[in-house]
Amino acid sequence: MIACRNLSKSFRIFEKKPGLSGSLRQLFKREYRSSHAVDSFNLEIGKGEFVGLLGPNGAGKTTLMKMLTGIIVPTSGEALVAGHQPSKREIPFRKKIALVMGQKSQLWWDIPAMDSFLLLQRYYEIEEKAFRKRLGDLSELLGVTNLLNVHIRKLSLGERMKMELMACILHEPDVVFLDEPTIGLDVIAQKNIREFLGSYQKQKNITVVLTSHYMADVQSLCNRIVLILDGKKRFDGSRSEFEDILGREKSISLRFEHAPNIDDHAWSKMDPKWSNNNFQVELRIPEATMRQTLADILLRFPVIDVVSEKMAVERVMETLLKRPELIPESR
Amino acid sequence: MSLAVNSAKWTQTMQVAWSNQLVYKLNFLMLVLGPVLVFFFIKYNLWSSIFSMPGVTTIQGYDLASMLEYQVWVMIVALLAQSYNNMKLAEDIRLGRISSYLIYPFGFWQFHTASFFGTQVIQIIVSILTVFAVAAFGFDLNLSLDQTPAAIAFCVLVSLLWFAIAFILGLAAFWLDETWVLRVIFVIIAQFLSGAIVPLEIYPVWFRSFLDYTPFPYMTYVPVKLFMGAYEGHIGTAFAIISFWLTVSVLVATWTWKRGIRMYSGAGM
Repeated sequence: MIACRNLSKSFRIFEKKPGLSGSLRQLFKREYRSSHAVDSFNLEIGKGEFVGLLGPNGAGKTTLMKMLTGIIVPTSGEALVAGHQPSKREIPFRKKIALVMGQKSQLWWDIPAMDSFLLLQRYYEIEEKAFRKRLGDLSELLGVTNLLNVHIRKLSLGERMKMELMACILHEPDVVFLDEPTIGLDVIAQKNIREFLGSYQKQKNITVVLTSHYMADVQSLCNRIVLILDGKKRFDGSRSEFEDILGREKSISLRFEHAPNIDDHAWSKMDPKWSNNNFQVELRIPEATMRQTLADILLRFPVIDVVSEKMAVERVMETLLKRPELIPESR
Repeated sequence: MSLAVNSAKWTQTMQVAWSNQLVYKLNFLMLVLGPVLVFFFIKYNLWSSIFSMPGVTTIQGYDLASMLEYQVWVMIVALLAQSYNNMKLAEDIRLGRISSYLIYPFGFWQFHTASFFGTQVIQIIVSILTVFAVAAFGFDLNLSLDQTPAAIAFCVLVSLLWFAIAFILGLAAFWLDETWVLRVIFVIIAQFLSGAIVPLEIYPVWFRSFLDYTPFPYMTYVPVKLFMGAYEGHIGTAFAIISFWLTVSVLVATWTWKRGIRMYSGAGM
């Protein structure tokens, strides 16, 4: 569904020295430097995949997405999305894709969502009956039926995001690009959007590429992870492979009734991180010996709470961003 | 694509332009009343005091009544032809908002052109109301029935020319971070050279002959004179010259768009 070979994009960035003298100087002589936002990127994504595109700010995720949606033209390389070259921006291509940008509203600010939807109905040439059905289903599913006639600018961020999502899938695209769809939303709204995206993707078997800094999104939605650092692809594999990069270990957090002896040799092999006046510890335990190790600890120490890690992706991501050298070369 | 499907896209976009225009009540009221208020408070007073100075009875053939009549038609022509706001267009580019139009199957220029047509419909209504409002204040507008159809046709061309120019100035945002300076400079120059501030008869003959080849006189002076039934030049030539400039502007706009969009970076997406 998506394929790109040696896709690259470089920008010319203008640099200005601070202060008045810098401002005056830049009037006469400007210093530019070239920045490679995306560098020789290769990627193949099949139909029905839900791919998480991860990387720190400025890694090139958004630039890659912009190239795949045809918003910007690549400096070199080839891309093919849903059978089209995105940079040609052909109308049949535009009807097959959708882009949701969490940071930017695509709906018209000063009119009610319904007016925007009617406009999109015309743009995407959606038949009246299908349009009414989809609109009804989606607005019910997202719980926004009573907000359709409210001006977009009067909606809360979460409500607006739901409208943005509806606007982007009304035409039932084959490929959906989601650029931080849950940014700035409260926990409940994030969860709603996440659940909706998950069930919608499964139901329609569409291809989704997601970028998000909320690892909960990635953990619950993506079955494949592509890691991009400094414009280059550094990892591409299933989510479980990603989670196992740092070894098959689980992170377990324990809370104690009173502080145990932290010098006990039992801890030393488990990379303990003590907190809360030694009332709490985070341990890393190999999956293979987990049962035995935990049983021993529970017998010997006054444990009152055991929490197993829920967000392996987040832990791996955090470690890899600090120590990129841990990323396996072959990926 | 069938004509019906395509026209549905255009009419729906025009409806959105209307909704956008009418959403802020006070803003719309100012849009309707603004030009009339400016006319009565500034232009009327200004020209009345100039003509009340000792010895001033006519200026290059205009007495107070005909000067005021000229200024009323300047206002109407501006309402009909100069209403579309390209600031939004430039902002769309600078803030990366055109990204949406590169994804919707209805492009950026189509969207803005349809919005322009939508805005024009409102402006025509506002202009007609303004003509009645001015007439209600006792102004004799001497509407010339001979030349009025030509004047209206001319205004259509002038509005398209202004739109094409606004589009080009807006597209400059692909290269420049701020384009409002360009627009302000262009509007000021156009105001003076098109006869929107003072009738072109004030300028020396040699300068007017030169201006005749530029688009400026056709942007205000010619349609105003046509409305007044006092245009003495050859109407066919005037139409030919403005059509020429319109074609040039459309070509430049198309070329600028094609160049700009290739280097567009979708800032902030």
